This record gives sequence, C-alpha cells and structure tokens, in this order.
Amino acid sequence: MRALVIDDSRAMRRIVGGILEGFGYEVVPAGHGREALDVMEGGFVPDLACVDWNMPVMDGLQYVSAVRSNPAWRSVTLMMVTTESEHGQIVKALAAGAHEYVIKPFTADAIRDKLALLGLLPEEVTA
Amino acid sequence: MTLTATSFDWVRQLVHRESAIVLAPGKEYLVEARLLPIAQKMGLPGVHELVEQVRLRPDLSTNRRIVEALTTNETSWFRDGDPFTALTSTVMPALLAARGPSERLQIWSAACSSGQEPYTIAMLLSDALPGAASRVSITATDLSREMVERTRAGRFSQLEVNRGLPAPMLVRHFTRAGNEWEIAPALRRMVTASECNLAGPLPRLGTFDVVYLRNVLIYFDLRTKQDILRRVRQLMRPDGWLFLGAAETTLGVDDTWERVVVGRSSAYRPVRGA
Amino acid sequence: MSAPTGPTTGPSISELLDADVVRSIADDVWLAMVGEDEVLLPLPGPAPEHPLSAWVEVVGPWNGAVVLTCDRATAEELTRCVLRANPPEHVVDEDVEDAFGELANVLGGGVKSLLPGPSALGLPEVGPTPSAAPASDTCRVDAQWRGQSLTISVQGATPASSHTERNEVPL
Repeated sequence: MRALVIDDSRAMRRIVGGILEGFGYEVVPAGHGREALDVMEGGFVPDLACVDWNMPVMDGLQYVSAVRSNPAWRSVTLMMVTTESEHGQIVKALAAGAHEYVIKPFTADAIRDKLALLGLLPEEVTA
Repeated sequence: MTLTATSFDWVRQLVHRESAIVLAPGKEYLVEARLLPIAQKMGLPGVHELVEQVRLRPDLSTNRRIVEALTTNETSWFRDGDPFTALTSTVMPALLAARGPSERLQIWSAACSSGQEPYTIAMLLSDALPGAASRVSITATDLSREMVERTRAGRFSQLEVNRGLPAPMLVRHFTRAGNEWEIAPALRRMVTASECNLAGPLPRLGTFDVVYLRNVLIYFDLRTKQDILRRVRQLMRPDGWLFLGAAETTLGVDDTWERVVVGRSSAYRPVRGA
Repeated sequence: MSAPTGPTTGPSISELLDADVVRSIADDVWLAMVGEDEVLLPLPGPAPEHPLSAWVEVVGPWNGAVVLTCDRATAEELTRCVLRANPPEHVVDEDVEDAFGELANVLGGGVKSLLPGPSALGLPEVGPTPSAAPASDTCRVDAQWRGQSLTISVQGATPASSHTERNEVPL
C-alpha cells in the first residue's frame, strides 16, 4: 500500500510517515500540494494521501480539489491532517472532497482507527 | 511532588491487580499528575494523602477511579464496528417489525465509560433510522460516578473525537465547546446515564431490547460472569439481543444463550424456555 | 528600546481564554506528540539556565503569539520524544527547530481555534525568548515536564515586539 504524506513541517512528515510505515505503507513525502501533484503525475498514485492544510505554493484544500477533479485519481483516499479544528473548517474540507479528517494533535491510534474505518489498514495490523 | 516510594508501589500493585497493566518505575510523574485531580475533588491536599486514605479505608469506587485515571483510555467510537452496524442493518428492523407502533425500544449500554458507546448508538440511529430514533431510549450505566457524569455531559476532547469517529459524523452531531466537542442536545436527550455496579444486584433499569455489555466481563471470574449474565438476562425481553466484546463469548459460561451471526459480528439471544 | 505607543485595540487575551483551557490544550499535545505517558505537572519550576523558545504568531481580531519556553536541554529531550517514531541518531539544531517548532505550531493551532476568527498562524520559529507582553494581555501557564520547567505564554503583540527591534544592537 502506498501513501503520500504532504506537510510543510519536516517533523510532521517524519511523524506521520513513521506511523504509516509502521502499518506497512510505502511512504513518499511532499512539502506542499503542488509537489504532491507532481509526484502523482510522475506515476506514484497512492492509495492514501495524508495532507496538511496550511502550506505554501498550494495548500491542502486546493490539493484535495485538484485530486477530486481528476477521474484518474478516483481511487486515492484523501485524509486531511491539520491543526484547523473549527467546525466550519472541517465542513469545508469534507465539502471539497476530503474523505477523512484528523485533528492535530493526534496519536498513532487515531490514525489507525481512521484507516480501519476506511478499510485501509493492512490485515496484519488489525490484531 | 508528594508521592512517596511506598505510595507509588501501592498504586502500582493496585493497577496491576485490577487491570493487569504494569506501571514501570519512572512513572511517578504520571501517577502524580493523573491522581492529583482526584485528590483535589476529594478535598485532600495531595496524592500521598489520597493513597493513604484508600490504603487505610479501602473503597471500591475510589480504587476504580485511580485505576481508570492511570490506564490508557482505550475508548473509541464504533469500537470494532460490526456490533453497531448490525444494530441498524438487522437488529432494529427486526425489533421494529416485532413491536407495536407506539412501543418504546430500550437499549442498554452497560459499561458506558465516558459515553462513546451510547452516543455511537444514538448517532447511528439518528442517521440510519431517523423515524425510529424518537422511539428509542438509551440507558447508559457505569460503575464510576465520574464516567457517568462525563456521559451526561456529552463532551469530548480533541483526542477523543479523533478515535474512530468518522469526520462527517463529527460535524453532523457535534459542535465546538471551548477546547472540546459537545454532542447535539437531541442526541444527548436520547441517553440517560446512571451508576450501576454489574457485580451486585441490579436496579430496575428497564426491560431491554438490546444490551451492549462489551469488554467488561473479562474483568471478572467465572462465577461473577455467570451472575452478571443471569442478572442482565432478567432485564431483557425474551427476544432481545446481547452484544459482547469482540473477544468475548457466553460459550463455556452460560448455556442459556444462543449465538447468532449478525452481519460480520455475533449477538447472543436468550434461549426460549431456558 | 522604543517608546511605548498608544493602547492596542481589540480584545485582550484574558477576555478570550484562561490558563485552564490553555493547560488542557497543552495536555492533549503532550499526550499525543510527546508520549502517551508524558504529563505536564501544573507547577512552576526554577527558571531555565539557557532558555530557548518556540513560537507562532497569531494574526486576526486578536494579534499576538503563542510562545513555548524551556531550557535548551529540555527542548532537545522534547525533540527526541516527538521524533520517536523515526529517531535521529544525534539530535541536531535542525531537528530541534523542526520538532520543538512543531510543538509550538500545534499549541498555536489549539489556541487559534478558541479565538475570534478568522485568525491565521505564522510559521513556527525557534530562538531566544521574545519580549514579554503587558500582563493584561498575557495568559501564562507554568508547568513542569519530567521535573523540568516549561512555560506557555499566549501573549498580545506589543508595538515594540518586532523581530528587527529584538535583534538590533543598541548604539
């Protein structure tokens, strides 16, 4: 299973990437939405993209809209992982096409639970 | 920091006895921080005094509060998934067909902890069976007064709402209240919470169509398990449904239940005439 | 350095939040990012010998910053904890800027969600402690982590507290 971790914070890319690798994912990092789209256009279409909201060049919301408007990427599950925790922000993200939403700060268990809901947790990890 | 080595050791033993969890040396700060609010609520100056008090005057309820405060909160929403989806896909339709049009349906969440389970049920019913939701009463009980109060308040931290609660349901059923999220008043009204010790005689809580008794029998010995199942059954309709934890079963414990497959999970129903 | 200018307009932080809610935000951040058994004791400790701060600025109806301050050695220990899923062999300055900065960022995010909107956070910065704001526009939480001092200050922007001024060498 493949994942894109998109965040302008190197610490966050390491944290989220580490958690996903622990679940058996192959993880590719990106520093903003445009970089992530380049990676995908280059042929790495992930099963899961964990994307921050506030990033330079192209933010998470724009990235989500871009992915959802491309039929070739219909299979990509989009999970926002962000400090934006106001009710209205979450509604906005879901309306733009995000499938799930994790509020920072989060634990590894929180990511695991969300992936289980999405059917994206490799079987060996569910024990 | 008021915690002495002796106090810490006593707490370690209590936690291990009650939950099998091991508190390694070095966790003194954790114990101090987590137990200080309990001490303060009991009007005690510090954690040392709290430990001294429960050592001299053992008190089941305070012991449980101490253990709960120190063991990682495993509570998530929709825990294991299937026992909840089974409610809307199979159990509720069967009950609605079997009951009269004005009969209230009663569901019991028998170890409700901070409230995730009863509100999971409330949300599901409200979303999947909105017409029926107004006919359902959800009784939530727990041994711990603190947990009962939390369930009544229906407020959850950012960390808690991250645990297995689908984001669309979060925004549909909760609003922000300070740094927390609060369940919608309509769903809060569906739940009535009270204290209840399953290991003793049960108050007349109702006659339940569905009971969720999940991940609580594991804490008891065989004899007590049997007592609990018997008492629970006495509060159930003869055609009721019982859901246990994913790794639990009545097999080998009580043969007056019949296991039925519901979707991808199991439920237990009273055997007729038993 | 500069003469104080006129009074700031807009709400002061004490009208918007209190130390208890900042503590609860910090508790969540510690549990999730520093470690599930890590706690902040609500007790002040001795001032750090070599203080280091991480902060994010907040821009909106209320302007200010969320500042996290502790000893440099504490910041390094925090960094090791935050990066535990993928630990570096030796913790270098860049790691501290990342991880300690990210702690301030997530704390800032929590605080921002309690402020009148729309508000935005700046990028996290790590460095010498920014100048204090007037007490009337500061919400301060003193804590201890693993016996070490830690302070979280949600403080209003003062006309004098800009970066260039802080780094200016007096003539």
